[in-house]
Amino acid sequence: MSRTAHRLIGPEEPLWAPHHPEADPVSLHTLGFWLYMMSDALIFAALFAAYAVLDHPYNAAGGPQISDVVHPVAAFIQTVIIFTSVFAYSLAMVGLKAGNRAFVIGGLVAAVLLGAAFLGLELRDFAVLIAEGATPDRSGLLSVFFVLVATHGIHMVFGILWMLVMIVQVAMKGFTTAVVTRLLNLRIFWMFQASIWVCVFVFVYLNGAYR
Amino acid sequence: MSLHRADPLDHPDVRNASGIAFVAGYAASVGLMAIALMVTLRHEMSYVRFVIAVAILGGLALLAQAVLMFRLDLSGGQRWKTISLLLVVPLFVLSIGLTGWMFHTLYPRTMLDFMQVQGSGM
Repeated sequence: MSRTAHRLIGPEEPLWAPHHPEADPVSLHTLGFWLYMMSDALIFAALFAAYAVLDHPYNAAGGPQISDVVHPVAAFIQTVIIFTSVFAYSLAMVGLKAGNRAFVIGGLVAAVLLGAAFLGLELRDFAVLIAEGATPDRSGLLSVFFVLVATHGIHMVFGILWMLVMIVQVAMKGFTTAVVTRLLNLRIFWMFQASIWVCVFVFVYLNGAYR
Repeated sequence: MSLHRADPLDHPDVRNASGIAFVAGYAASVGLMAIALMVTLRHEMSYVRFVIAVAILGGLALLAQAVLMFRLDLSGGQRWKTISLLLVVPLFVLSIGLTGWMFHTLYPRTMLDFMQVQGSGM
């Protein structure tokens, strides 16, 4: 749909003008999704709390310590990749502001590819650990390590799937109110993954490697 | 249904996208995490100083992301997102900190061989 089709029709003020008497559907949806992400943050808080409890040599049960399973330099590469993926999505939002459909799709594709690269590195790390016998059932410490990192990874998977859907919707429907609202919510979701990864990187990888 | 129709691309949440802010947020996030990595690899601080240093660096990276990437501020469109985040952060920190503290004081009183492995722990 072209931009001109959405231009102001009828009443003098756009629906999202400040102090407009009617509810702004875009802001309502983004605020609602933002509050959902705040509750999602508390799921991670529970996992970080479990990690704080189990991150002790006692809970390694004679198996590998956390310093044996984390590699801060490799995790930093993952950090740069996820930050770059979020940056690519951010550039797509600059393209959205300009109404440039190709720019938005390009940014989403770049964000998907970088997100997939992040997940590939994470899966490779998991495969190496499991091959060395450091499986989730080896100890409480390894259980919480795998659950915490994999929960973030599952969020990444859903973010990538959502982006693939949005690429199709932007290409087929253009910038309708519903599509723009979904892009704004996905922006919140994807940027949130980078913020959670900062906590994982510092709390698990750097803290674990310093022992 | 509203009679008002407006271009969704004119919405404040779309208009607040800024290439300069995104570049600054990206650079700040990568730079701060690179410094945290260097601090870790050098291994020159006591453990307590290290924890404080990386916590500050991580906090600054999260702040940079909130302001420059999420574009949170006190404007009409972002005010309640900012407030809800400010209210969630203490819950996030307290739920982790209090749980960790509770169990680390519980361990010495309940696990007989705890003292044997405590030396290599936190």
